[in-house]
Amino acid sequence: MDSKVTKFDKNMSAVTFAEAGEFDTATEFLQEEETEVAAAKISAVRKKPLGGMVIFGAISLAGYIALMTHQGWVSENYTTGGWHAAYPVVTALIFSFVHGAFASNLLSVLGLEAKKH
Amino acid sequence: MKRLLFIILGALLILPMVNSAYAGGPPPKDVMKGTFLSVDDTARTAVFQKVGSKETQELILGGDMTPSDVRVNKKVMVSLDKHAGENVIKSIDIMFLDMTLKRIIALLVIGLIGGLLSGFIGSGGAFVLTPAMMSLGVPGAIAVASNMCHKFPKAMVGAYKRYKYGQADIKLGLVMAVTAIIGVQIGIVIQKYILNHFGNAGSNLYVSFIFMVVLVFVGGYVLYDAYKLAKGGDEAKVSRLALRMQKINLPPMMHFKVAKVTISAWITIPVGLLTGMLAATIAVGGFIGVPGMIYVVGASAVVASATELIIAFIMGAWGSIQWGLSGLIDIRLTLLILAGSLIGVQLGALGTTYVKDYMIKLVMASTMLIVAVSRGAKIPGYLADLNLRPALEPQMAHTLSQVSFWALVTALASAGLIITVAMVRGMAQAKAETRGAEVISHG
Repeated sequence: MDSKVTKFDKNMSAVTFAEAGEFDTATEFLQEEETEVAAAKISAVRKKPLGGMVIFGAISLAGYIALMTHQGWVSENYTTGGWHAAYPVVTALIFSFVHGAFASNLLSVLGLEAKKH
Repeated sequence: MKRLLFIILGALLILPMVNSAYAGGPPPKDVMKGTFLSVDDTARTAVFQKVGSKETQELILGGDMTPSDVRVNKKVMVSLDKHAGENVIKSIDIMFLDMTLKRIIALLVIGLIGGLLSGFIGSGGAFVLTPAMMSLGVPGAIAVASNMCHKFPKAMVGAYKRYKYGQADIKLGLVMAVTAIIGVQIGIVIQKYILNHFGNAGSNLYVSFIFMVVLVFVGGYVLYDAYKLAKGGDEAKVSRLALRMQKINLPPMMHFKVAKVTISAWITIPVGLLTGMLAATIAVGGFIGVPGMIYVVGASAVVASATELIIAFIMGAWGSIQWGLSGLIDIRLTLLILAGSLIGVQLGALGTTYVKDYMIKLVMASTMLIVAVSRGAKIPGYLADLNLRPALEPQMAHTLSQVSFWALVTALASAGLIITVAMVRGMAQAKAETRGAEVISHG
């Protein structure tokens, strides 16, 4: 609501200046508004996924801590061979999803995005 | 055309059941896993219990072993010396190293740079990760297995990212992967033949020799091509060889949408087979797969390196299951490398969107050529093993092995540096362009 009022106010001010013959000031009012809209658009597109990074990062970190504190159990059960082959393969896949999502968000938060063509 | 794709997919699903492919060579056979319960110093014997079995057996220490080599109550891998008699131990490796902070940091850093390279040129990392792990004290078989298990999730994440950027050709990737898996079989048959006829040293010499020839020849050509493009400053053109290949109208013809290529299956199949054969020989199939897709099939460097990640994923997943079945994957190593490489691979993937085609070729060529030096340094030692030259002096042997290892580190570091610089430059340029565009639209 606020923004609409200001938009209206600004337009009216611009009109007033235009009528008074001060075209430069009038365009200044209008331009100011334009840049504000553009800035709002950019920030909407490039909203940084901080939440995602923190959540996935926390899950990933918890996973690594669990792995390191249960090394004995892991080493025992993951290397018996046979159908236990599924253990390391599935674990690697799950970690790659969680940690991969964290890494992806981390890069976005750091402002590293692919070039848009 | 769709039918063909289904046939290929079907073959992909059936193949593992009929046959078994091991990218990077098969898991070792004469190896037992278990723990030593006690050791007898005077009789030179040790009581050993296999994993998953209640029974114990008595093993004899090999000629050059001392009783202190036997670590009691620690999970070990024992390889037997079949030539010396029954139950004679050849060597003992401790399966799971204690993770020190130094080792953890080393794994994270190598993973990050290896991933960066992989995301950028489609392959890499493996050639330095396995030796690096071994130099940290990991037994060879475990290093290969853990690296394999880290390779496929990393390739999957990289392939997904680059598919989103519109760079990966899934169909080309599938066709190449299926033929590469068959190529691995052929590669293993050749390897076995050489191993049986010329022994371990002959096999090592063969691997190093192939490695050198392929890397110097292909790497040199890619470097020449990249240099020409950088000098000319124009966009990459399809190679003359690829244009000639595309003209061959031998059915079945295949169309690859992303690569923008229509080519006979009889051309893509040999490229895939060679990729697989090389993967079975030197464990880095991408060094032939990517140049093959660029210069023979006619894809751009960006598409070829992205598609290689799909191939790496399929072959890596299959290899991991094989190594997992023999229980040799150390998941701690796998996950620690993944921690760095998943960040690296995505960074490398987005880096490709900022650079020109020749940059990818340049990184690939320089990596291949430096890795060739590393392999070349090993050849004198293997020649000596085969009695083709006098034995190396210890000093010389030490220097050569140092050269070999540090060349790998240099390859990784220089590639990481080139990628970072190219990416930062590309990003700055892109930013300047958008700013320029904004000024124009506002002005």
